[in-house]
Amino acid sequence: MASASGSVLAKTIANRSKRTIYRTPLIPRPVLVGGLFVIALIGAYPYYGTNAYVLSLLGKFLCYAIFALSIDLIWGFTGILSLGQAVYFGLGAYFIALSLKLNYALTHPTRYGGKIPDFMEWNGLTSVPHFMQPLMNLKTAVVCALIVPTLLALLFGVITFKRHIYGVYCAVITLAESLILQEFIIEYQAYTGGFNGITDYSNYVSPRFLWFILAVAIIFFLGARLLTHSKAGTVLKSIRDNDLRAEFLGYNVANYRIFVFCVSSFMAAAAGAMYAAWVGLVSFLDTGPVFSIEAVIWTAVGGRGTIVGPFVGTFLVKGAEFFLSGVLAEWWQILVGGLFIFVVLAMPDGIVGAVARWGARRRLALDNIARKDELKKYYFQLRLRSERSAQPEKEAP
Amino acid sequence: MFTQSIITQFFNGFSVVAILIIAAVGLAIIFGVAGVINMAHGEFMMIGAYVAAVVDKLGGNTLLAIPVSFAVVGALGLLVERSIIRWIYHRPLETLLATWGVGIILQTIVKLIFGPELYYVGTPKFLAGGFRLIGRLPFPWYRLFLIIVAAALMALVFYVIFHTDLGLQVRAVRRNRAIASCLGIDTARVDMTIFVFGSGLAGVAGAVLAPIKSVSTTMGFPYAVDSYMVLVLGGVGNLWGVVAGASLIGEAETILSFVFNNVIGELLVFLFIVIVIRIVPKGIFGYYERR
Repeated sequence: MASASGSVLAKTIANRSKRTIYRTPLIPRPVLVGGLFVIALIGAYPYYGTNAYVLSLLGKFLCYAIFALSIDLIWGFTGILSLGQAVYFGLGAYFIALSLKLNYALTHPTRYGGKIPDFMEWNGLTSVPHFMQPLMNLKTAVVCALIVPTLLALLFGVITFKRHIYGVYCAVITLAESLILQEFIIEYQAYTGGFNGITDYSNYVSPRFLWFILAVAIIFFLGARLLTHSKAGTVLKSIRDNDLRAEFLGYNVANYRIFVFCVSSFMAAAAGAMYAAWVGLVSFLDTGPVFSIEAVIWTAVGGRGTIVGPFVGTFLVKGAEFFLSGVLAEWWQILVGGLFIFVVLAMPDGIVGAVARWGARRRLALDNIARKDELKKYYFQLRLRSERSAQPEKEAP
Repeated sequence: MFTQSIITQFFNGFSVVAILIIAAVGLAIIFGVAGVINMAHGEFMMIGAYVAAVVDKLGGNTLLAIPVSFAVVGALGLLVERSIIRWIYHRPLETLLATWGVGIILQTIVKLIFGPELYYVGTPKFLAGGFRLIGRLPFPWYRLFLIIVAAALMALVFYVIFHTDLGLQVRAVRRNRAIASCLGIDTARVDMTIFVFGSGLAGVAGAVLAPIKSVSTTMGFPYAVDSYMVLVLGGVGNLWGVVAGASLIGEAETILSFVFNNVIGELLVFLFIVIVIRIVPKGIFGYYERR
């Protein structure tokens, strides 16, 4: 008898210490279903939609979403707040835009017959400068657009993270970096188009290119999920939560930071490159801190530290901007400012975070009910046992 | 000729240094003591400048605008602190986001009230004109006034931090918040006071800078960034860091901008800052601070 109740006790204790560690699947089912639905919705738009403007918006939003994802990787997962992430986005965009513009100028001469981009002619250049010749080849430009920002990020990461410069300092330095790049672009307008940016070249707004952007977005989504769901991802999160402890546990915090910063910059550069080819207008605003911090807010609204969050947040905020900014005019800006404050004060986990927390709470509640049942059984057994032992033993005369 | 120009630039640099100090000192105590990254600092300065513009319209001058701006922007800082900042002291990076939102809202509201056009504030009559420093080098009185204001603000802050009861509490909170709290210091109150004081100083900065800048809604942001660079270079939490950072950045930027051009100058200063904090990550004076 005692051994039987003992086994119940042991089982309960074993169950209790199991604590049902819940490891999320790589792609949770709701995300999979919703994601496939959204992918189908966007991918099939050329078939059922007729509005060219909506088509162009879709591609634009996807690029923004990838950019937000890149910010989420460093900020949401690793805790590096960079206000200069747009530098990498903008560099990628400028390489592609320059290349397209150079090629466009070959077939569409300017008013005075020069085969160089119009902004170069306005600034007194007569031929394409030598260092820009390689960009005539679009493939070279694509490689440059992806590699140069990543290398810059590597350099930046080695300089700062190796010396434990992060947090506020990192934010301020990246902010300054971004501002200086902007001033550079405006100052050297003969090469960059200056204040007006690079515009009026043959951009690709076509269903096939939309599918390409969509495919890249899906690949980045999966890649980011794989990265953050792996052991390295756990280390990144531990760096975010307590970098000192991660360091003491033997992880090379600086290298992890540099790595994720480079990955993120690569993503941002790819987003920028596609953005330039899709939209057909690149200006200094696309490299500025305001753009970076806007993307930070999209991420925060969607949910930092989640991969779905940036996509949700970008489409929500940019969609709302599309519908409301015309109606509200100046008041839209106040709304955006309020959104910053609201997200920080009331919704630090964002929409996806709130939903995930609700799901977790529900699981916990179900779990608790199950555990309660088990405990009830256990106490029932105990009572049985005590009642039996309280009964006078019949065998003993 | 070239050397003389460099010397001219050197003296012009003093006024830039003064401007940087004026802009950064409020931020230094907010950031250094309360640990808040106030991205709306530039907008606070902008509002100070608009207050100066209003005072100017009503017939006052800069000397009158200084206390008025201090009061108005200080009150604004109190409002922001009580409604937003006090909930997020423990999350410094998020104060950055929230105050950025505050900045956007302030810019838009000011634009709605005053319109998008630029305002110009005249220099006070007794500060008009200038004098000759060395040889034929003109030096406006107003620049001298800026330098005096910068020195006065630094003196004021030093006095408040090192010779008043509030300053004693501030230093205690800065050194060790938990122990200070145990000793009966109301740390939340100290944070609030410091934030309001720093905001008021931003207002003073705006009022003083209004006559040399056209007053617009976006005038503040560059100053805020420059101030942060000053703090990063000089080190947070040591007031001499403000002076050192502002002097280095101001002089270097003025002279380099003259030798090359604006953008190259700024780029070189930026690289200089990056190299310096690569060597001393906590800034020039932050490095020697005892922990």
